[in-house]
Amino acid sequence: MPAEEASAAIVLRARDYSESDRIVTLLTRDFGKLGGIAKGAKASRRRFERKLEPFSHAMLYFRRRPHGQLVFITRAEAAAELRPFNIDDDLAKIALGSYMLELADAMTSEGAEAEGAYRVLSEALGTISDAGASPALRQSFELKFLRWAGFGLEFARCRQCAAPPSEETAAYFVVSRGGIVCARCRPSVPEGALRMEGASVVALARLGEADLAEASSTGPAGADAALAISRFLSSVLDRKLRSTAFLDSVMAGNPRA
Amino acid sequence: MTRLVKELSRLPGIGEKTASRLAFNLLNRPREEVIALAEALLEMKERVGLCSECFGLSDSPRCHICSDEAREHDSICVVEGPADLMAIERARSFNGVYHVLHGALAPLDGIGPDDIKIKELLARVSGPHGVREVIIATNATVEGEATALYIASALKPAGVKATRLARGLPAGGDLEYSDAATLASALSGRREL
Repeated sequence: MPAEEASAAIVLRARDYSESDRIVTLLTRDFGKLGGIAKGAKASRRRFERKLEPFSHAMLYFRRRPHGQLVFITRAEAAAELRPFNIDDDLAKIALGSYMLELADAMTSEGAEAEGAYRVLSEALGTISDAGASPALRQSFELKFLRWAGFGLEFARCRQCAAPPSEETAAYFVVSRGGIVCARCRPSVPEGALRMEGASVVALARLGEADLAEASSTGPAGADAALAISRFLSSVLDRKLRSTAFLDSVMAGNPRA
Repeated sequence: MTRLVKELSRLPGIGEKTASRLAFNLLNRPREEVIALAEALLEMKERVGLCSECFGLSDSPRCHICSDEAREHDSICVVEGPADLMAIERARSFNGVYHVLHGALAPLDGIGPDDIKIKELLARVSGPHGVREVIIATNATVEGEATALYIASALKPAGVKATRLARGLPAGGDLEYSDAATLASALSGRREL
């Protein structure tokens, strides 16, 4: 029988399977993203302590199966060093947290190392728990997660001439270059570009550098900044995120939209 | 037999082995029992629909609960599915009426307010029959909480009292064996004696 392994993990997705089993997708600290099945999870509160729900943060114990994609989850336990995420007392927290889980799921691959992704997601969900959801936190998370995935978007200098942006001058976001070009360089860049207000560019540069807790207490970059990130995400993701529509309606203060 | 096993395997929680066991069991049963089962299935499919008021299962346009004048029609208990309605009815502690959402908000699955019967609930609350209280009895999951928070916020303009089922220790449960989340809920929802 394969040896039991363990890692801290965040549950990204969970669904019931047959009468009492549960299939979960985990972002683990030590083994990247894993799919697992917990036999008897719905019946055994003792072994799983209700830790197999989205947003659960726990030590997960599992055994690999010789010929299966899903690992066997043997137990899940709370651990003092793993803070629980307090998400379910506010609709905006649930909406933004769900979006973060889905983005993390979409940008990680099973079997690939993802400790950085686990840390960004863990810090972001902790920040939501403490400070609530905000558009600035969303943007800061997106920038940090993209950076972890190797897509470090550049808003602090022009991709062409390295000049820093100014609040007074518009700049242009070019998806294929993963950053902005300044107004002076724009004529020499043949690709299509999204015009952004200077203030939005400066705000995004700041949000990309600030830690998540600090970012959540500042104002967000403008709607043009949100559009720039959204266009870039569409270019790197192979599917549209299902949680985006609900998040956008909740963030707009109109959850019934 | 192959066809029957295939059809039974479509049911939730039934794999091919269980389906084969059920099929052989049916094969060995008296003919009249198998006919009774087939007739019950057909009758259920033909007659059972949704109540036009609460969207619970019903074999008439208005279910027996909504038609019962002895029940408190100004108190609506909102549940995710028909099975939840039956569970609350079994408790025999609620004498109001129900509203069945047929799901819960699930951002991760792309299920939004328009995909479940929330609009119908809001229309019902603002309708001609005065509603005093809406008891939100969705599951104690992230989806259930999201649904409860959404409904509570949508009911605010109507000025209707929205309450949520308490969460905490089960009857007969030992503190020692309770998980941390349940204990935390029980503590925050404690009441004065």
